[in-house]
Amino acid sequence: MIKIKNVSMKFNLGIENDNSLKMMFIRFFNFKKRKKQEYFWALKDIDFNIEKGEVVGVIGINGAGKSTLLKVVSGVYKPTTGEVIVNGKISPMIELGAGFDADLTARENIYLNGAILGYDKEFLDEKFNEIVQFAEVKEFLDVPVKNFSSGMVAKLAFSISTIVNPQVLIVDEILSVGDLKFQEKSKNKMMSMITGGTTVLYVSHSLEAIKNLCSKVIWLDHGKIVMFGETNEVCEAYYKSQQES
Amino acid sequence: MLIKNIYHNLIKYKFLLIELIKRDFKIKYKRSVLGILWSVLYPLLMMSVMALIFSQMFKFNMEGVNFLVYLMTGLVMFGYFSEATNSSLISIVSNFSLINKVYIPKYIFPLAKCLFAGINFLLTLIPLVLIMLISGSPEAGTKCYLNIYYLIIPYIFLCIFMFTLGMSYLLSALTVFLRDIIYIWGIILTILNYVTPIFYPLAMLPTYLQTIFKLNPLYMYIGSLREVLLFSRMPSTYLLVGMFVTGFVMMIFGMYFFRKKQDKFVYYM
Repeated sequence: MIKIKNVSMKFNLGIENDNSLKMMFIRFFNFKKRKKQEYFWALKDIDFNIEKGEVVGVIGINGAGKSTLLKVVSGVYKPTTGEVIVNGKISPMIELGAGFDADLTARENIYLNGAILGYDKEFLDEKFNEIVQFAEVKEFLDVPVKNFSSGMVAKLAFSISTIVNPQVLIVDEILSVGDLKFQEKSKNKMMSMITGGTTVLYVSHSLEAIKNLCSKVIWLDHGKIVMFGETNEVCEAYYKSQQES
Repeated sequence: MLIKNIYHNLIKYKFLLIELIKRDFKIKYKRSVLGILWSVLYPLLMMSVMALIFSQMFKFNMEGVNFLVYLMTGLVMFGYFSEATNSSLISIVSNFSLINKVYIPKYIFPLAKCLFAGINFLLTLIPLVLIMLISGSPEAGTKCYLNIYYLIIPYIFLCIFMFTLGMSYLLSALTVFLRDIIYIWGIILTILNYVTPIFYPLAMLPTYLQTIFKLNPLYMYIGSLREVLLFSRMPSTYLLVGMFVTGFVMMIFGMYFFRKKQDKFVYYM
């Protein structure tokens, strides 16, 4: 179950230039400029509930706040205001292979990446063979990942991330990686995870996929919820607005 | 409540902590031929160079004190502080790509660095013990002997660990907002290297400077260890209390600062 209560997320624009001593010095003496801080609300007053087992899609144009919303739900961002309540173990599939170390071998990376995703050692020991088999990296287990092709890295990362049966799944686009055969395999795996009774928050640009999988849809624009409701209804309205603009 | 929270989190992320330390370990030694032997060799060579310079060129002579052991204790202890803080400093910044994608308690990165440096530190105790065994002569009173006060050595290590951890939290958080800290800390470390009596005797300085230098927490940890190893006696009450107070206060302050600021980190990535 996911409960989002009045969540807003504010970013400071142009903060990039700010973190050096020189800039601090300049800002200190530059009284006029100091007060001019530009803000950007990536999310504004977002408020919704997702019941257990519901599959909810998130649509919207680029920069509408979809990814920010996923990051707020998964706990990467702490919202500026409001509250996020998530019951159950979250499995964020936002970007795969975060925390892979190129100098370590596939075997070592399975444990490191697993630990980063919050698995414990016993679980990884138990699932190790399954991961290796799914990723098709058996012969290369003790090769540093930097010698892998990018497809192989993606396959390994995918296999580690999808080994759990999470209670809450957060997905940014259906991930199908690797060669044709693996794409099919990974797609099926994702589908079975999504349709397996877990609570899902699913971002996609493919209305087709959304219609197939989701029971409800959130339409985001400029950080605000434009519509939240039945899939067909929201998709229709979204499609129409896209046509017009 | 807070302590209980921290404890539960530690248990929960124990495996990640171990994996992070293992990673550092593997990366550090993977490419070098001598590998882990360097942890022993490096301080030994460092000490040899400095011993040569200071006993031959500057003619440092400390009556009744085993200069090699004196030097080595200073080097090993300061080495820990410097290695741990230097690697913690960038531990948050260099893991931004990770912090930005997956939820991980951020405090784990400086902690992992301090523990990793701690393991290295324990390895550098081997050459220290080696030097203690082979150097010094009983006639000159410079032989080091095992004594009952060795029992407080873990206490000394705990204090320097707390101090280093606190400093690491403070620095790693500051570096997120101000990258210049990386350079500034390098300079501060060099200054600390000289104002801490590592290779010279404190008694060499004028009295007023001695009083000031004794306030340096690093002096307290190094000084206490020397009392035990070199002179087989209990460190003074000043050192015993000072060690704990500085270590504990630094740890709490560093943690508090880090905790206050950690939610803002993502804005500065």
